[in-house]
Amino acid sequence: MSLNRDRAETAFTFKGGMLPMTVMELTSGDPERVRAQLAGKVSQAPAFFQHTPVVLSVERLDEPHLALERICAVCRAHKLLPVAVRGGPDPVKQSAWALGLGWFPPQESRPKAVEASPAEPVVEVETELPLPVAEGGQTGGRIHRGTVRSGQQVSAPEGDLVVIGAVNPGAEVLAAGSVHVYGPLRGRALAGIHGDREAGIFCHDLHAELLSVAGTYKRLEDIDPRMLGASVQVQLREDQLRISALT
Amino acid sequence: MAKIIVVTSGKGGVGKTTSAAAIATGLALRGNKTVVIDFDVGLRNLDLIMGCERRVVYDLVNVIQGEAGLNQALIRDKRTENLHILPASQTRDKDALTLEGVEKVLNDLAEDFDYIICDSPAGIERGAQLAMYFADEAVVVTNPEVSSVRDSDRILGLLSSKSRRAEQNREPVKEHLLITRYNANRVDDGDMLNLEDIREILAIELIGLIPESEAVLRASNQGVPVVHDDNSDAGQAYLDTVARLMGEEVPLRFHAAQKRSLISRMFGGGGRR
Repeated sequence: MSLNRDRAETAFTFKGGMLPMTVMELTSGDPERVRAQLAGKVSQAPAFFQHTPVVLSVERLDEPHLALERICAVCRAHKLLPVAVRGGPDPVKQSAWALGLGWFPPQESRPKAVEASPAEPVVEVETELPLPVAEGGQTGGRIHRGTVRSGQQVSAPEGDLVVIGAVNPGAEVLAAGSVHVYGPLRGRALAGIHGDREAGIFCHDLHAELLSVAGTYKRLEDIDPRMLGASVQVQLREDQLRISALT
Repeated sequence: MAKIIVVTSGKGGVGKTTSAAAIATGLALRGNKTVVIDFDVGLRNLDLIMGCERRVVYDLVNVIQGEAGLNQALIRDKRTENLHILPASQTRDKDALTLEGVEKVLNDLAEDFDYIICDSPAGIERGAQLAMYFADEAVVVTNPEVSSVRDSDRILGLLSSKSRRAEQNREPVKEHLLITRYNANRVDDGDMLNLEDIREILAIELIGLIPESEAVLRASNQGVPVVHDDNSDAGQAYLDTVARLMGEEVPLRFHAAQKRSLISRMFGGGGRR
């Protein structure tokens, strides 16, 4: 069988993947200032600095001749592994390649003006420098107060999302950690968007269009009607979403 | 300084233009200098509802593009003192409107008027966003059905993020809910959403409830805003709405089902007046 023989001969396959990645957004091109700040961070969160891959974002810098090599060295000295650079002018791109790093184009800037914005009103959380993840404690979560309306999206790219208010039909709430809704949940709720299988969804009044934990989902019509209107928790158990009443 | 009020909904056909005409007329009848602007460029309707379609010479687009002065384009209402209409263009499209142009027109009008009512087109695109951008207050027109409620919810989200007040971090646009085409009998039968369901989802203050009424259709076709028909239930409900917009407290009417007589039930007629 020719098909089988072909498969045996391949040494690898290419696959698309979305991996969580820490972006180190540089606001200074001075390696000494980066070194001083990193030293402080290491003492706060030693568990984070264990050969953690980072992408150096230089979008907010305006320096054509960046001391990229020295900045990388400072990072490695603190057990951060720069794997790529994002943004910057052509010389920065060339030196990234020379250092064996990848280069990403700058993130699309979000137009703010009313006429030029086809995008949804996305509520975005600024990701700060790495926070202590490994301790399993509270990470950079987010609290949203007020109704999340149809077409709006509220996300917490790190940690938990707490919504104090209703999530209406057609609205979407997402979190890297768990999603907590203190109000009716009528829209979509996605927890563990980076693959955290321990995340959950907790809400007072379940009418969700969609529930998802780490990519495993249930639609409204898959939800046991007895759970609708109830105060529930949603967790991943043996690759299935389990919805149980909060008592 | 004039108060700018946008009448909007997201969904089409829910009664935006009827409501804008009725509210503007009601405000003028109460002695406020009022202008109502049709933002629905390309689908001009307000002039028909206001009964001034034969008097349109220049329009909003002409003013924005400098082809006519504001006073040339403003039409004085024949029935009501203090009321002016600024019609839309029927032959252009919404790209003819610019943010700067709209701002200038509103600033000029603000010097002479107490209230500027912006009649928004349907949808959530440029035309609707321009109509709402400069608003101080918004009247969100909603019918008692699920699609209308969802679209209103979407518009409320845009009001809180894409208005000038939101972008400048000022006090947010004051949002009012106006429910139109409410038929209490059909609500009781379960055909329509009830008042409480709508208020619970949209979670904004109710400014008025307009019962489904033959008077509205009659008023539209005759080009006489329904508030002039003050014997009609819809006319009275709009006058109540105007009073609330002006800060008065008026009890809610027309939300309870009419008791149908045996005869009207036998012949299937509604309890409408």
